Amino acid sequence: MIRLLTEPFSAPYMQRALVEAVMLGVLGGIVGVHVILRRLEFMADALTHTVFPGMAAAFVVGGSLYVGALVTGAISAVLLTMLTRNRRVTSDAALAVLLTGFFSLGVILISRSHSYTADLTVLLFGRVLAIDLTEIAVTAATGIFTLIVIWMLHKELVLRSFDPIAAEALGYRVVTLDLVLNVIITLVVVASVKAVGSVLVIALLITPAAIARLIVARSVAKMMAIAALFGAAGGWLGLVVSYEGSVHHGLRLASGATIVLTLTTLFFVSLLVVVVTRFLRSKNSQPALTDSDFVLSGDAFPVGP
Amino acid sequence: MTSLGSTFSSPLMQRALLEAIMTGAIAGIVGVHVVLRRLSFFTMSLTHATFPALVVAEILGMSLLTGTAVFGLFVVGIIALVSRVRSVDSSTATGVVLAGGFALGVVLISSQPGFSRDLTAFLVGSILTVQTADLVTTASAGVVLLIALALIHKELVLGAFDPGSFAALGYRVLVVDIALLIIIELTVVTAIPAVGTILAVALIVAPAATARLWTDHIGVSMAIAAGVGATSGFIGLVISSRYDIAAGPTIAVVVATAFVVSTVVSPRHGWISRLRITTPLTTRA
Repeated sequence: MIRLLTEPFSAPYMQRALVEAVMLGVLGGIVGVHVILRRLEFMADALTHTVFPGMAAAFVVGGSLYVGALVTGAISAVLLTMLTRNRRVTSDAALAVLLTGFFSLGVILISRSHSYTADLTVLLFGRVLAIDLTEIAVTAATGIFTLIVIWMLHKELVLRSFDPIAAEALGYRVVTLDLVLNVIITLVVVASVKAVGSVLVIALLITPAAIARLIVARSVAKMMAIAALFGAAGGWLGLVVSYEGSVHHGLRLASGATIVLTLTTLFFVSLLVVVVTRFLRSKNSQPALTDSDFVLSGDAFPVGP
Repeated sequence: MTSLGSTFSSPLMQRALLEAIMTGAIAGIVGVHVVLRRLSFFTMSLTHATFPALVVAEILGMSLLTGTAVFGLFVVGIIALVSRVRSVDSSTATGVVLAGGFALGVVLISSQPGFSRDLTAFLVGSILTVQTADLVTTASAGVVLLIALALIHKELVLGAFDPGSFAALGYRVLVVDIALLIIIELTVVTAIPAVGTILAVALIVAPAATARLWTDHIGVSMAIAAGVGATSGFIGLVISSRYDIAAGPTIAVVVATAFVVSTVVSPRHGWISRLRITTPLTTRA
């Protein structure tokens, strides 16, 4: 069993992939807790798509994917804010239009290149096995910066999630806090796109945090720890499964997608366990905590500042 | 003008244009209900989760329409079940299922030869390869969808605006909701040949969101959405063939442009008109 978990990582490229996948799992898990608390799932999904044309442009002209993604990430944050200010348009519709529009621009850019379909596949689904040391360094730097910001603003961000009015009354700038969180989400998306691709990043942000939310509902810090743990485990197990399938069973499994599928499986297993234990507990005794659920704030899908 | 004429002369292009116009009109009309009920994110997850079904149907050689429709509804069931668990709210469930469904499709397709090419057709459509049989499928799906929408129009609108009185009047809320979900899923499946799974949501949401900026009336809004959808399909296809760029994404960009322009110039709800009557922009609570 132990050998199964370590054997795939004898080759250097698999070691690099493991380091990258585990770092992204931890980062996505921790930031994802805020995404879920603020119900920014759709917003995060939109960001993963809107950074795509920047990557595509950088890809076509041979520039840095990170820079391209950052530039469009910033532009889309502004556009999202402006579009969602129009009260006639519900924020979810504006997000959907902006998301698909930006994404399409990226595909159009790529469609001019000679190896259209192969290039598109790399940008959409990433290449965690082709990660080099520079990219690992970029991910590590982004991760450390992001975690420091989240740690420093922990109290403010949590307060803003649960009670925006109190946060405002205490003198915190809610708009600024929202902006900080959106920038953090963008940074995580940008750091992850090269490994898992722009379509699958959303799983790193949502699924580990959703698992953590199933397991603990009281402490945000504990949720973050559990989400980070599951994110890392998903990255590790996903690579193992993908390696086993490809090397020992002749079944080629795309590694990024296998990581996501592993996380999804972990979610459903946790869901099952939680539902069954709750059912058993409720049969034996009265539930100890009746008001244990979070009181979430805001609209169905609040967007940005 | 001559080059535009020659664009239409090839049967391949004629089929593509017909498909684009029909799909645009159907998606536009159904989209009005999606936008009314704020189901954009949900539709998005439906399109992503339909993706593995498309792959399975392709691998097994099944009919795409039945294969994907059945699986899509299965996904809706999963989302509904998962959201019922306390401490998972519906947007989280939607997000998890969306990403998981998509990854499942990618894993399935990566185990097949010809990985990149097939994937691209599924993701962003390949409208230039539609056959006459596909046109017949789209047309019949369109007729069925429009008849279904017409039959339960009153129920759908009332349910969207006032679910409380809708239930009090004795209507079965669940039945109408499920009917609408089936209609949306069928629309997604119909739109896939033209714009693919990722962009189907563009054709559904953008024309309807555009229409809402121009009118308050549901019927008129459907007419405008159908017009915007069909016109965008037409213009997008012509531009893509002129400049030799991917067709599905071009259609999506055209329809997104229609929406963005409308948010600016719409007579009552656009930025320009609101600046003129000096309403503060920050009216949103």
